Amino acid sequence: MSLAKGNRSSTVSSENAGQQPLAKEHSDDTSEKGPPAVQVKADRNGFTLVPDPAASLDEIVAFMDERLEQSRNFFQKSEMVLDLRTRPMRTDEISVLCEKLYEKSRVKVVEVRLSDELSFSMTQEGRKSRLSSKGARSGPPENYAPLIVRNTCRSGVRIVSPSDCVVLGDVNPGAEIIAEGDVVIFGALRGIAHAGAGGERAARIWALSIEPHQIRIADLVAVPPEGVKPMPPRFEVAEIQDGVIQVISL
Amino acid sequence: MAGKTIVVTSGKGGVGKTTTVANLGTSLAKRKYTVVMVDTDIGLRNLDVVMGLENRIVYNLVDIIEGKCRKEQAMIRDRKLPNLFMIPAAQTREKNSISPEQMKDLCSTLAAEYDYVLIDCPAGIEQGFKNAIAGADTALVVTTPEVSAIRDADRVIGLLEAAMLRHISLIINRLNVKMVKKGDMMSTQDIISLLSVPLLGVVPESDEVVVSTNRGVPLANDRNSKAGAAFIRMAARLNGENVPLDGEGSHGFMGRVKQLLWN
Repeated sequence: MSLAKGNRSSTVSSENAGQQPLAKEHSDDTSEKGPPAVQVKADRNGFTLVPDPAASLDEIVAFMDERLEQSRNFFQKSEMVLDLRTRPMRTDEISVLCEKLYEKSRVKVVEVRLSDELSFSMTQEGRKSRLSSKGARSGPPENYAPLIVRNTCRSGVRIVSPSDCVVLGDVNPGAEIIAEGDVVIFGALRGIAHAGAGGERAARIWALSIEPHQIRIADLVAVPPEGVKPMPPRFEVAEIQDGVIQVISL
Repeated sequence: MAGKTIVVTSGKGGVGKTTTVANLGTSLAKRKYTVVMVDTDIGLRNLDVVMGLENRIVYNLVDIIEGKCRKEQAMIRDRKLPNLFMIPAAQTREKNSISPEQMKDLCSTLAAEYDYVLIDCPAGIEQGFKNAIAGADTALVVTTPEVSAIRDADRVIGLLEAAMLRHISLIINRLNVKMVKKGDMMSTQDIISLLSVPLLGVVPESDEVVVSTNRGVPLANDRNSKAGAAFIRMAARLNGENVPLDGEGSHGFMGRVKQLLWN
């Protein structure tokens, strides 16, 4: 999964404004017992799924299963946007839902909308073609705005950015930060960071202190030398010099 | 006013969740609050043994949820404190016998009647964990100063944050001050700087804990025990009283700055 934070919020809101409730009759037929677990909205760009804030993951999956069963041909191979502005989901929940949708009717979730400013595109090609048709940004990855993570990344968290990634907090052991560009951490790096994941050897990793299990830049992997006692926190940069990853303190 | 529902969790097993629940429950009950402890470790129940109440169990948590008994029938009163109760887990069932929604309902009915509802969470992050945290508004994460326990605690804190639990505090159990001074054990300060959640208290390592578990009498009943005293102070802090972390939470300047920044 690749995540992108872009200045495409204007695009997003204009899409919202022009939404036509084409699939409305489908969402009404199960609404006798309270609101449906997922609202399926349609506009000219495809479908948007809005899970109900009170619905559990099982309810959401069961509801979508039933919905795809009812109108199998209608949704077959369609692209959908998952709107999580009212019902936050964990990444594992998102991937469960996406897998179910794809298994059932080859439905692809092309974008996950987290807030008005933050939306992640799931497939780069799918998203790019739509953007370029609107004359918006379609350039190489460097043109994406950096992904900013505003809290500590704890064990089990995996963040993938198609551009640079900025973490305002620590990266704890067991967490992974993967970026096509630079990784900048305003905190301690103790987990795994991979800068220049697309092969960019000039990418760097910046952190207030680098004491990771492993760092990767482009196709190189480095582990800290053994038996080195921890240093007091200071600003450090990891970059490739003469084909070897070096950690330099500033 | 509704009472507090507090889940005690850790991720890793054997770090002292059940001991913590038993001692905090006893300490809070000694302060004249009405307390009910719920063991959600279905299939591997322990809280009854630690409290010394295993021979009084008739009904259990699953019986309440399945409507086989009223919740008052399953509650077991403590041997000493009349305002301390325990709901045991079922030993012959599985974790998926109850659902998070059912736990949520049970916790809210209990919180309406009691000042404190303490939930003993099973180890792991599967169904049992999800059940245990469903009804809680506060979480206490127990860890020992070992890398593996801290890693699991970090993962659990991430999951608790994802579950929108706002109040998360840390309990460091089995800290050996001598080993910390020799540099053989992670210090309180190291642990807090890694986990970046507020500290509720530190329990020193002690042989008395094993004895009290085997006898079925929580340490909080013993005034002379250091570990018991640590639990009593923690209960006071949990209750909103300002008890200084005299030495136990001596985090340096950077630790304090971090706590200010992240909370």
